[in-house]
Amino acid sequence: MKYSRVSVLITIILITWVGALSAQTADEIIAKHYAATGGVENWKKITSMRKNCIRRSRGVEIPVTITVEQGKGYKSESTVGGMTSYTIITNKEGWSFNPRNQQKPDALPAESVKLAQDRLDIQGPMIDYKEKSYKIVYLGTDDVEGTECHKLKVLMPSGKEETIFIDAANFYLVRTVEKTKANGKEQSQTTTYGDYTSLPEGIVYPMSVDGGLTIKSIEINKPVDENIFTPGK
Amino acid sequence: MKIFSPLGNNNIRTYKIVMKKTILFLCPFALLAMASAQTKINSYTFGAMEARWLGPGTMSGRITAIEGVNNDNKTLYLGSAGGGVWKSTNAGASFKPIFDKYCMSIGAIAVDQSNPSTVFVGSGESNMRNTVSIGDGMYKSTDAGDNWVKVGMDSTEHIAKIIIDPKNSKNIYAAAPGPLWCDSKHRGLYKSTDGGDTWTKIFYINEKTGCADIAVDPSNPNTVYATMWEFRRFPYAFNSGGPGSGLWKSMDGGKTWKELKNGLPAKPFGRMTITLAPSAPQNMIAIVEAKETGLYISSDGGENWKSQSATMNVVSRPFYFSCVVIDPKDPKRVYRPGFGFSYSDDGGYSFTDASYDGGWVHSDHHALWINPNYTNQMYLGTDGGVYISLDRGATWMFVYNLPVGQFYHVACDNNNPYRMYGGLQDNGSWVAPSAAPGGVNNSSWQDMYGGDGFWVQPDLTDNNIAYAESQGGNMGRIDLTNFKSLDITPQAGKDDEKLRWNWNTPIVTGQANHHNLYTAAQYLYKTTDQGRTWQKISPDLTTNDKKKQQQEESGGLSEDNTSAENHCTIFTVAESPLDENMVWAGTDDGNLQVVTDGSKSWQNVSANYAACGIPAQTWVSSIEPSRFDRNTVYATFDNHMYGDMNTYLAKSTDAGKTWKRITSPEFTGFAHKIKEDLVNKNLLFLGTERGLFASIDGGETWFRMKNHIPDYCMVRDIQIQPQTNDLVLATHGRGIMVVNDISPIRALTKEIAEKDVVLFTRHPEPITMGKYGGGGSPVSGGWWGGNPDDIQPIEYYFKDRATKDVNVEIYDASGKLVQTIPGSKRKGINKVYWNLRMTPPKTATGSTKMDYGNFIAPMVLPGMYTAKLKVGDKEYTSQIEMVHDKDNKLFTEEDRKKQFEAAMQLYHMHERLYTLVDSINTEQKELKEYMEFVKKASEKKHLKEYYDKLEALRGTLLATKHKSIFADEKKLREYITEVYGAVCNQECRPTNLQEGRITVLGDDLKKGEESHEKLVAEYAVKAKSIIAAEKARPKVQQANAGN
Repeated sequence: MKYSRVSVLITIILITWVGALSAQTADEIIAKHYAATGGVENWKKITSMRKNCIRRSRGVEIPVTITVEQGKGYKSESTVGGMTSYTIITNKEGWSFNPRNQQKPDALPAESVKLAQDRLDIQGPMIDYKEKSYKIVYLGTDDVEGTECHKLKVLMPSGKEETIFIDAANFYLVRTVEKTKANGKEQSQTTTYGDYTSLPEGIVYPMSVDGGLTIKSIEINKPVDENIFTPGK
Repeated sequence: MKIFSPLGNNNIRTYKIVMKKTILFLCPFALLAMASAQTKINSYTFGAMEARWLGPGTMSGRITAIEGVNNDNKTLYLGSAGGGVWKSTNAGASFKPIFDKYCMSIGAIAVDQSNPSTVFVGSGESNMRNTVSIGDGMYKSTDAGDNWVKVGMDSTEHIAKIIIDPKNSKNIYAAAPGPLWCDSKHRGLYKSTDGGDTWTKIFYINEKTGCADIAVDPSNPNTVYATMWEFRRFPYAFNSGGPGSGLWKSMDGGKTWKELKNGLPAKPFGRMTITLAPSAPQNMIAIVEAKETGLYISSDGGENWKSQSATMNVVSRPFYFSCVVIDPKDPKRVYRPGFGFSYSDDGGYSFTDASYDGGWVHSDHHALWINPNYTNQMYLGTDGGVYISLDRGATWMFVYNLPVGQFYHVACDNNNPYRMYGGLQDNGSWVAPSAAPGGVNNSSWQDMYGGDGFWVQPDLTDNNIAYAESQGGNMGRIDLTNFKSLDITPQAGKDDEKLRWNWNTPIVTGQANHHNLYTAAQYLYKTTDQGRTWQKISPDLTTNDKKKQQQEESGGLSEDNTSAENHCTIFTVAESPLDENMVWAGTDDGNLQVVTDGSKSWQNVSANYAACGIPAQTWVSSIEPSRFDRNTVYATFDNHMYGDMNTYLAKSTDAGKTWKRITSPEFTGFAHKIKEDLVNKNLLFLGTERGLFASIDGGETWFRMKNHIPDYCMVRDIQIQPQTNDLVLATHGRGIMVVNDISPIRALTKEIAEKDVVLFTRHPEPITMGKYGGGGSPVSGGWWGGNPDDIQPIEYYFKDRATKDVNVEIYDASGKLVQTIPGSKRKGINKVYWNLRMTPPKTATGSTKMDYGNFIAPMVLPGMYTAKLKVGDKEYTSQIEMVHDKDNKLFTEEDRKKQFEAAMQLYHMHERLYTLVDSINTEQKELKEYMEFVKKASEKKHLKEYYDKLEALRGTLLATKHKSIFADEKKLREYITEVYGAVCNQECRPTNLQEGRITVLGDDLKKGEESHEKLVAEYAVKAKSIIAAEKARPKVQQANAGN
């Protein structure tokens, strides 16, 4: 009798424990992710970000700067051989410019601008996702190159789908796969993150992207000259 | 149990209780800790060692299902016999595999057209040929194929069709013919009423009869038609037809059924296919296998039938060609994909064959999708891939980008690059180099022998000869210089029985003596002169069971004897690598025989392997005599033709007297091939019908290899190329796959795997720019398999994924940093590629033209280098010895030095020019900034004159007026790059004119520098004075002055 009570207890603990592992929801995963990366409140305080990066390729170091003002503008610039190309996205329009083969910036198609609106969201798609009219589905665990990850799929009203892989051990962001259907074609882009660093603002941020992009410095909540979101300025 | 307690005896009880409680609480965590205490070696341990998919796409494989999305005219899903599911979102211009974590054998696909994100895949092809593979159930995706969930029907093994109720997509029907090799209760018609989440069998005849086809009336979806089929395969015969077969109709969504007979031929029936006209659903067509097979039509929903065409393409092989389609808009337009492709404009009364004006169309058709919005556009699935028609099936274009060929075997020669040879199901024998200029692509593959292809053997003693075969033991010696072949098939002797050739007859080269070539019927034959003379070196090695030799009666209602059912044959032959007189032979009826004197004393050891738990009379699928010990041998056994899908692998260390079965919970699928590594005797590879497995501990433990290999890939054959150490796989549905250089797998021990970080040492490496050149044109369509690494990668191992930044720094012998390379962070083995070059120079900026000089760096010189792996703040170092590439006879060490000297001269010229132009840019920037503020006209003029002269000089140093990629402006920077690129990007001593040009450009640079100095001398002092004065003025004044 005594042994059977013990067995029952063990069974209950095991069931509870295993059940807790298996019955995770998207909200729980998101909560753990933000708990591991500085807390939602710290993330929500971020209104602007400027990342000064280096992209390394075959010995060449290409300076890349990414500036985002929450909800207003996004600009990425890269300079090769003294020539700077850029992409701008605002909440209404977008442009791209590559001086190697363009005399002036090209306007982006409206559909591309619509699908790129999430780039204006520094805080990421998972914070207040319901208010943003996003839907997030938990797809269980999957492995990314051997690392077990929680897999979430974000469905945005724009039609963009982003699959997010979060390390099941430390709840850091490991990979995103963006899938878009725009201008008559379907495309996907995979980005893998690393070098998680605690920033003075209290968040843990991935400072590198596989393929050679390293953030050398990051400025948060510094005033942004909104003129930079106008092409040619 | 006595417990020692430091607390004393009185406290023992308390201690026990505490311990129990502790155990209770810690139990789950202890289990976790135990599980993670030892690093598990699996495919991720070898993370970055990913397979190349070499195709070919020029000859594809069997396509079993095609389904499109009706509302977008361009999204397609393809199911293949052994290559999984592929998706196109551009009407077939490109495809991606979307099912690589699941079963590779696909029977049916359905898209919910009212919500096209919902897609169903029924696994298990239903074209019930001898080599058909099984499935493991029904899968559902709700995001257009990104993610899949298995939703049931796990034991059906084969699913022939899925139809979604067009008015209520909760109702879905699935036809399950069920298992091919045994009786089963899991066959029949299944239905889901909850959108495919659960399935119930709703119509069942008996254990021998499954559901082969279904049709649902789109105007009244409660009206369902089903064809039931009694069939069975045995290892030596096939039967299609029996009392269970019939055509049935339900008017209540499958609750009740009545058999339809009026006008149909006399029973028994075999396989039937049925379809209805979407635009007039009372009009139906059925092709009925019977004693007199034919096409029947009904115009009253199947109540009455009328005989129509019985042309050859309608009646051929009903068990294999089970597709008939009516045009979505025109009820009289009927398509019959069968042995060939034919179409009818009179409802199936007469047919016309498609033309070959768009190129030959492979025979044996199984799937057809017609775009309902534009019915001229259609997609056809055949035994050789996919074709597209834009003229209602009259002419067809081949799709060259689907590498789903079904290889049986692969072999490699010793060329550099080595050539890969293999035979494809229904698609002949092929050869391709493992590397080629521009990468291995469709044009790299050469068709070398016809029919169904199986074994191809290169003659390792004669580089121009190979041996290949077609079904039924027809074999030839092929001259690889012109691909002409000579028949070398052994013939029966005076006292021989009729020769019994396996469908997949072995042709095997001796491993101890490469002059030996073996082939086998029921007797084993050997030649040492390329097939000019053969010796019969064995008696009948099979059971010679006459009950299993009734192939001429095979087929059931439709006779079908294509040599696929030939039985009591020798299937596998292997010569010991250590002794050419020791030869093993395995048969398809369970005999495993060995001879140790070349030909005389054959011993049957089949009872010995059966003693270790492998069923007797099991097909011996491969034999691998060890190259490390003459008495050690591995063998795989395949019992699936008796309905037993278990993985059978065994090892003997006493030349077959006793056997030990090797098992693993990882194993899935019946076994095709066991391969022992050439170097590490503990490294083994196992290919099965459902996956590739590896063991690094001699078979004690195994893991599934997923290194860019589909999880359940059908791996029929495995070779290891001795010079490159490449693992070469013959897959039955994904072509040839190659894992380049498996040395890291050989080297990795459990002890290494326990370390957090390991930076592997490298062999001395020749400095090279790679083996191949080429025009550099991008690949325009077709399948491209790439090349192996030109340069040896720097390899390191992470026990777990790195969370900190990872870089590899290369230092020369003096400690100077040569280059920094970003590293990957994945768990297991990572690869980083150093291009064996320095860091490129800084080149002048401020141009309107992109100059590529700052992307080009000189190759390093031979010597010792240090690789420093930086992981966060930790460092790991390894020495790299770089040596001159002695294989390149046209590029001596002296040439290399000359090249380096010239490259460095140009390198430094670029950096000098950068400094010069940077000075000018800086000066001009300041001049421009203050020029507008200066009030005094003479001062303003001085600044402007200085600025303009600097600009004139700048305009001689780099392109400043270039406005289009089509207006190629060249100045000093561009001229330097022109020579610099030419010198750096080839393995060659600089030419005399290149060296002369360097001198000329050096002089030009010097002149530029002198011109600048003169300008500075003439203008700078005064300009600085003006600017200094201006700087001293209050900024408000400056601003006002500017206004």
